[in-house]
Amino acid sequence: MTNAMDREAVPEPLNPLGIDGIEFIEFATSKPQALGGVLELMGFRPIARHRSREVELYRQGTMNIIVNSQPADVPRTVQPVETPVISAFALRVRDAEAAFRHALDLGAWEIPVRALAMELNIPAIHGVGESLIYFVDRYDEFSIYDVDFRAIPTVDPHPPALGAMSFFGIVQYIGADRTADWVEFYRQLFGFTPLPDAVRFGIMPKGLLLQSPCRKFYLQLIEPDDTAQFAPADEHLQRIGFGTPDVLATVAVLEQRGVEFLTSDKVRTSERGALTKARLGSVMFELVHAEPAPAAPSR
Amino acid sequence: MIFRDFGMDTASLAGSLENKLAAIRKAGFAQVMISAADIVGHPGGAAAGARVVRASGLKVTGLEALRDFEGLSGRLHVYKVGVAKSMLEVCAALGGRVLLVEASTSTHADASEDAVARDLRKLAMLALPLGIRIAFKGVSWSRTVKDFAAAGDLVFRAACPNLGLAVDAFDVLTARTPLDDLEAIDPEQIFLVQLSDYMWHELQSAEEEVATATHFRVFPGEGAHSDDLARFVRALDDIGYCGEYSFDVYNDDYQQMPVETVVDRARLAAEWLAETVLRRALPVPNMERLRRPPHPG
Repeated sequence: MTNAMDREAVPEPLNPLGIDGIEFIEFATSKPQALGGVLELMGFRPIARHRSREVELYRQGTMNIIVNSQPADVPRTVQPVETPVISAFALRVRDAEAAFRHALDLGAWEIPVRALAMELNIPAIHGVGESLIYFVDRYDEFSIYDVDFRAIPTVDPHPPALGAMSFFGIVQYIGADRTADWVEFYRQLFGFTPLPDAVRFGIMPKGLLLQSPCRKFYLQLIEPDDTAQFAPADEHLQRIGFGTPDVLATVAVLEQRGVEFLTSDKVRTSERGALTKARLGSVMFELVHAEPAPAAPSR
Repeated sequence: MIFRDFGMDTASLAGSLENKLAAIRKAGFAQVMISAADIVGHPGGAAAGARVVRASGLKVTGLEALRDFEGLSGRLHVYKVGVAKSMLEVCAALGGRVLLVEASTSTHADASEDAVARDLRKLAMLALPLGIRIAFKGVSWSRTVKDFAAAGDLVFRAACPNLGLAVDAFDVLTARTPLDDLEAIDPEQIFLVQLSDYMWHELQSAEEEVATATHFRVFPGEGAHSDDLARFVRALDDIGYCGEYSFDVYNDDYQQMPVETVVDRARLAAEWLAETVLRRALPVPNMERLRRPPHPG
């Protein structure tokens, strides 16, 4: 069995890009208000609107979520439809341009910059399916949102997080026999480390966990069930995981707000984690027991 | 099921893409290797060509072929990355899962193993999000990667899960590669096996070898090296290869013959391989057999 002792023997993962967590996660949908309602139930607040595009910024604690309903003009990116889709995530890095060049040198696909959701020069590459991966290096003293967004008046720009929630990770659905490929993708381009199978978080027993080189978040790769193996591969970012120090207390707070959690033979709320029922056809969130994230840098 | 292991190659046939695919399907093949020229050369454009392939009901073995990719630098490298991306997009549009890549024969290429492995790794990374595997093939007139053993070393060095080998029987026959060399290869790393033979007993020169490879190949069972070819296929079977076989027959004569005649020869080759060489076609219930097309008239 693999345990904490064995993991100590694993050398410190390299972090050549200076990855420092997730800056934002983006949804695409043609019904931004419906998704906004779901996000608000989960504790997010709309705090700013994009100056020129149909893009809104939601926030709680250290977590930023962008809701993009601008029609896409780049091939192989998410075209907003009614059912919301996770269309991108942004990595905080030491030097966005350098991280972008490094990824391209290794074989990533670039996105034409001017077509992106932001006016700022935020470089991005293609990720799984139609999703994108952005590189952001302006998250410390001033932020990308100061340039592209107009604050919604009278709204607290830094609403505290319910239950001290923070981004824990993203679940990625992949095709049959594709785990090795995607491990290589995240390992080679960003320095993620696959965790031994015995290391588990939350209540979802499936898939392979990849730890970010900054050790602040995880990606979970899930291949289809046996029965679905011969269906055409639909690879995509499926759901966001929130870390919270007290899962049961956070579940109670969210249930009071009207969030429903899944209870089935395989999945039920426990101290380890919980899974919300799908809303708007596809939007679900996972809670995972985790110690609180370090305090957010002042903005 | 066994006959599903063999596929034809659109480059073996003359005429329109629609006619080629219809003939291949009618002959009883379930899959096809697509030559990129057949897609981009479609009168309705590449997107229309891809739709024709998807509508054909044939499984796409893969797309061929990216050449002279690795070992370049500066502008040449950037140019070839653009070519590779374009071919990968075409492959994805077809629903193809393999892109065939032939080792560079360019004198402009850096032949160092590090440079070649680095570029192969980059190519595999470009293909990865699209779910495409890179099948890398040695070419006997390449300066460095002449055979599957050399290609296998580079694939091992590049170490990417979606990077593997294409093994071409023609190269094994012409180079008289010892079949023992196959035992060093992990069968899981072979993404594609290409089968063809040729008519001459001996190739007199390197020039004749290139000319034969590109203009005078014939289907398995038709050439002068059937016994060697059969031994090669059995050796692959012995090491546990259970992937796909594609007939990569480039023959100028076949370009002047009706597609029905050529696919009939391909069908005979598939029957010979399945029943005589591999002896595993019959009798198994519900197994698909290649059916002879109904006689006209």
